[in-house]
Amino acid sequence: MDSVVAFAVFGVDWEFFKPYIVLGLALGGVYALSGVGIVVLYQATGVLNLAFGAIGAAGALIAYWMINHTSWPHWLAYVTCVAFGGVVNLAYGLFFGPAFAARDPLVKMMGTLGLALILLGLMAWRAPVGGAFARFLPLPSSSHTFTVFGAFVNWTQVIALVFAIALTVVTTAFLRYTNLGTAYRAIANDREITATLGVPVRRVEASAWFGSGLVAGAAGLLLPDLLTSLDYAALTFLVIAALAAALIGRLQSLWVTLLGGLAVGLAQALFAPYASITQYRSAAPFVLAIVALLWLSRRRVVTITRTAR
Amino acid sequence: MSVTPSPGQDTAAAARAALTLDRGTAVRAVAIAAFLAIALFALPTIGADWTTTFTSVAIYSIITLGLGILYGRVGLISLGQVALLVIGVWTATRLNFATGLSFPLVLLLSGLITCAIGVLIGLPAIRLSGLHLALITLMAAGAVNVVLVAINFPNGGGGFTGRTSTPDLSGLQAVRRPSIAEGDTAYYRYVVVVAALVFLVALLHVRSKPGRAWAAIRESEPAALAAGVNVVFYKLWAFALASFMAGVAGALLAAQVGQPTAQSFQTQDSLTLLAVTLIGGIYSLWGAVVAGCFSQLLPFLFQVQWGFNPNFVLILFGAGLLQVLLTAPGGLAQQFPKDMASLGRLAWRGVGKVTGRGGRT
Repeated sequence: MDSVVAFAVFGVDWEFFKPYIVLGLALGGVYALSGVGIVVLYQATGVLNLAFGAIGAAGALIAYWMINHTSWPHWLAYVTCVAFGGVVNLAYGLFFGPAFAARDPLVKMMGTLGLALILLGLMAWRAPVGGAFARFLPLPSSSHTFTVFGAFVNWTQVIALVFAIALTVVTTAFLRYTNLGTAYRAIANDREITATLGVPVRRVEASAWFGSGLVAGAAGLLLPDLLTSLDYAALTFLVIAALAAALIGRLQSLWVTLLGGLAVGLAQALFAPYASITQYRSAAPFVLAIVALLWLSRRRVVTITRTAR
Repeated sequence: MSVTPSPGQDTAAAARAALTLDRGTAVRAVAIAAFLAIALFALPTIGADWTTTFTSVAIYSIITLGLGILYGRVGLISLGQVALLVIGVWTATRLNFATGLSFPLVLLLSGLITCAIGVLIGLPAIRLSGLHLALITLMAAGAVNVVLVAINFPNGGGGFTGRTSTPDLSGLQAVRRPSIAEGDTAYYRYVVVVAALVFLVALLHVRSKPGRAWAAIRESEPAALAAGVNVVFYKLWAFALASFMAGVAGALLAAQVGQPTAQSFQTQDSLTLLAVTLIGGIYSLWGAVVAGCFSQLLPFLFQVQWGFNPNFVLILFGAGLLQVLLTAPGGLAQQFPKDMASLGRLAWRGVGKVTGRGGRT
């Protein structure tokens, strides 16, 4: 148990850290699955979706509204949240995807920035926050707890972590073994040639948009419960932690993205008990991403991008 | 336009040639002079709250100028310019409370310190690709926001953070303005002059060696590399210049508000700033002025003057950004004159049809 010795150096024992590790793994799970959703879409369409967090936040707000202002069953709200992510992402992909297809990755990214701003504006307009008012989106799974190695764990935290791992496994297998997955990888290599080979490029891309959007909706549903309150600005900038995970995975490797997301989540949670740095722990994605970039840029690479703007 | 009069008949011809050669420059000079005259003397007469807004417009046009150069000239994107602005504001406030330096010196030092921090943030990402720089600046924006919430702006205390929990409320310490520009109107004029100087610096860059190197990098990085352009150095130079501008703007902003608060800077402002920069136009320096108006004047008009929900502006920026990216890459600075010219031609044709004259364009 090296870790016990390491923690004991700081005068903190292993028991003390257990709840923070649980929280960190759950948060990291959401970051990781968001990162995987972002990487898959980037690989398939070349679009780095900056609106990922905003889509999840909007879905969560809709679910909140359905639970608190209608008498509809709660499961419908949860399904709507996830489906909203898929539908909005798909709509953007269908409408703007082809128009941006031949453009530079930076321009594609800026397009999603437009979507993020529109969603942010809508949310700030229709669901303003102010004063001590806070929204909560509790999931039924949070009320069921059990203990693992003496630490309290609730089912939402388990779902977050298991979903992230399952998503990574399933997506990897999907890309490797199915025809659609092969088409994704072909488009990632060269969209034009793939199209000439008879792959319905737009339909394949649409499926990527839809799938990635569903993941965005799921992240938006899980995160408010883990962070205790539904704050759409915080949810929108979930994309920063997710992008850090994606960057650690070089925008390429799903497994490294998963590990990166978990690392970011753990780093954020484990610094919480230290009074001197607890305020700065949200900067963990930035620090980890900078370290990853320094590692990546240790050799000089000439980047050749298409200069179409 | 120094035409030395030579004896003989060709004097007039030479003068005419010189004039026709420089007509574009002359028109531009006149336009700039007229714009500055209006900005300096006509705009402050509208009203006090308008003057404050125009001060913000001038300050923000300095930041959007940096962003515009970064994207329009080099092809780089910074999603964290507000973070650099915050660093500028913080540095200026700290310098102000710690030292008795004169305002221009505070301005310069804030710019230089922000520039150094910007280079530190940008260096690892710039060596990779534009996409990486965009991402790392976005994360820097988040991180700076976190630090800002933790330490807030200095308010006259001691130590590194310069913040005391028991500020001297009787004196209400504020960041000093330059002694020649204490009042709002005078300070507005001061800001416009500083902004004009920064624009001049930008123009000199674009028209000389860095500008040519940036153009080469933007068109093709491998070709620029093959032609002997130090790609990383010139990219970093552009990023440093943009950071410097953000720092200067931050110092101006610190003196404008007097007591900056952490709540007035949000991470999402970086995104809106980028959107307005593109909407304003990135291939022309005028675009930065338009962008400054969009980011500060438009919310003022919507909220204070017309009573709209200010968040409506965000939706407008998002839609505008998509529209600019897809149909008008030059932004309003290029698109608006073009559209006006087309409209003029249409109107002229219409007049021709009605009167039977002047139908030709």
